[in-house]
Amino acid sequence: MPFSAYDLRYHVEESYPALCIYIQHRAQRYLGQLAFDAFEMDQVVGHVIEYLTRIQLLGGGERAPKTALDELSNAQFYTFLNRMVQNKAIDRLRRRRLPMSTTGELEEQGNPDEDNDPLNSVVEPFWGDVPFANPEAAALEAVSQEQLRALLKRCIETLGAAPRQLQAVLQELEDLGAGDLVKEVRADIPIDLDITTVAHLSQHKDHAHKKLRLCLQKNSTNLAVMLAIRLTEYGAESGGTDEWSVPLQTLTQKDLSLREVQTGLQHLTHAGLLNWQGEAVVHLTLAQRKLLTRFYEEE
Amino acid sequence: MSDEFAGMANPQEPNAPLAQWFYQLLSGAQPVASSEQIPVGEDVSLLGTDYHAAFYPAIPNFARALLKQEPELMTHYAPLLFHLIGCPTCHRAYLETYDALRVALADEARPATTALRLSSSASLATTSPKLLVFLCQLLIGQARSVLRQAHREHADEDAWARSLLQQAMQLSRYIMQGALRQRALRDLVEVASLYQISSAGTPGEPGALSYSALVGAGSGARGRTLRRAEMASRPQEQASIDLRAGTLDGSVTQEGEMLILRLVDLDESLRGKFLLISIPLGTLLEPVRWLGGNPYAIRSAGLVGPDGTLITPLGRTDLRLSNPEERNLLETLFKKLDVRSLEA
Repeated sequence: MPFSAYDLRYHVEESYPALCIYIQHRAQRYLGQLAFDAFEMDQVVGHVIEYLTRIQLLGGGERAPKTALDELSNAQFYTFLNRMVQNKAIDRLRRRRLPMSTTGELEEQGNPDEDNDPLNSVVEPFWGDVPFANPEAAALEAVSQEQLRALLKRCIETLGAAPRQLQAVLQELEDLGAGDLVKEVRADIPIDLDITTVAHLSQHKDHAHKKLRLCLQKNSTNLAVMLAIRLTEYGAESGGTDEWSVPLQTLTQKDLSLREVQTGLQHLTHAGLLNWQGEAVVHLTLAQRKLLTRFYEEE
Repeated sequence: MSDEFAGMANPQEPNAPLAQWFYQLLSGAQPVASSEQIPVGEDVSLLGTDYHAAFYPAIPNFARALLKQEPELMTHYAPLLFHLIGCPTCHRAYLETYDALRVALADEARPATTALRLSSSASLATTSPKLLVFLCQLLIGQARSVLRQAHREHADEDAWARSLLQQAMQLSRYIMQGALRQRALRDLVEVASLYQISSAGTPGEPGALSYSALVGAGSGARGRTLRRAEMASRPQEQASIDLRAGTLDGSVTQEGEMLILRLVDLDESLRGKFLLISIPLGTLLEPVRWLGGNPYAIRSAGLVGPDGTLITPLGRTDLRLSNPEERNLLETLFKKLDVRSLEA
């Protein structure tokens, strides 16, 4: 019985058996010499099942947010699963240092499926050309890209409430030679920081790092920037009153959920840039509009 | 974490020191994540501490946004990207997802021939019990993650968690080996209690006695696995679920649609009194119509007898203890049953 991503999400009882059979079938093909090793088979099958559960597709129902996988056609979804199985099988073969099947071997087995050819994975780097292929490359990208660097700066600035922690981080950045970033932060924070007199530097640094990690991974930080831009872009002036209004639905566009919009608006309200209390339409004064423009321009 | 900034494409890059600092900042708080996945056949629901419910499910959308070069991509997914830098487990999942999605999206025209060759006879009854146990544990673990995440975000995701637990319970009824079913549902009561903390009508105090169903026992065959055929051949009136609280025994039997609780050797302090019976998992499945409507507070129909025996109805159901799968479902409901005196 064929199954789809929709079936796995809404009808797990009916579709799980077919999913297991499909993954087992593909795993057997890709595991080559390990195909009859029950442990290795379990590793591959379990990996894909665990993945589908963790991304909240398997059994996710209506409650779990839809993902890109929900929007794949059936053919694409099977291709996706097939590739997941193939990659995991190659991973297991590599761990056991066993040779992987070549195209010739697969042809001898009379296999007509083009996608069964793991040779590409043998001659190419395992993941091919993937952006952010390792965390270090992602870190470099993050500090080089303007928008991401702006978020880092914004989070460093939130340390202004704890001047010693801010001071400890700025000193670290100075030592790294990131003087430009330090200058940008100093220009925005009107605190007289004397970097020569920080006692217990390492303790302040640890606290500061924890706060920075939280800020950087907090969804509201980046959502606030997006919402500030949209509020100024989509705001419609209400007949000569110097007041602008934007319905929440307008702010969602295609890529934000209502909840994300609300999170971003709450963040802006908390920062004193809005007076939004959960209304369906956001109202802005001229002064607030200017503040919002400054907010994202600073970004 | 390695001191060596191994993945740097160009160490002469002017931002390299800042990038290294940034990498160490984000990866500094992460515990050393196990690179090994959870094997099928091992208990999973207590593990997975490196699973981040706030980020992991967003990975497919991030991968697609990268592949389609969506606008505002970096701002939208910045928190996830920052998380990936510091979380090896999520980063690995991102790499897998990106690669598989790239192939899938480039493969729009291919018919799903492989899928169509699947056997049409696949059913849960014929699915490997090991894989059923695995999924039950994963679903219960997901429910725990959903509840914890909701707690952190001050959100209410009880209905979602409840749906995951219900699916685990429904799937578990196809596991005929009691020991495996026990493992599949090992954390069910604990996770259900997390969900029930925020629900109205939960019992306010622990029971004086707490019974557990002896999974895989019952029908006078305690301690051994009942096979499907064996269960089916038993007369309905003999079918039972055995309960135990320390050295005390009890059972649930069925008369027609009615489920009957029988407790014996109750303490002298309870004799001659009405009892309040609480079934914490009772709200998770609809098929039982509990007496009084609230499974957390079922009043015994009579007094505890002078010999310490109580026989009282609990509720009606269309499920049959004589049906192996339905019996498994009912047995799960009675994984915990608390009783206490109605009188102070």
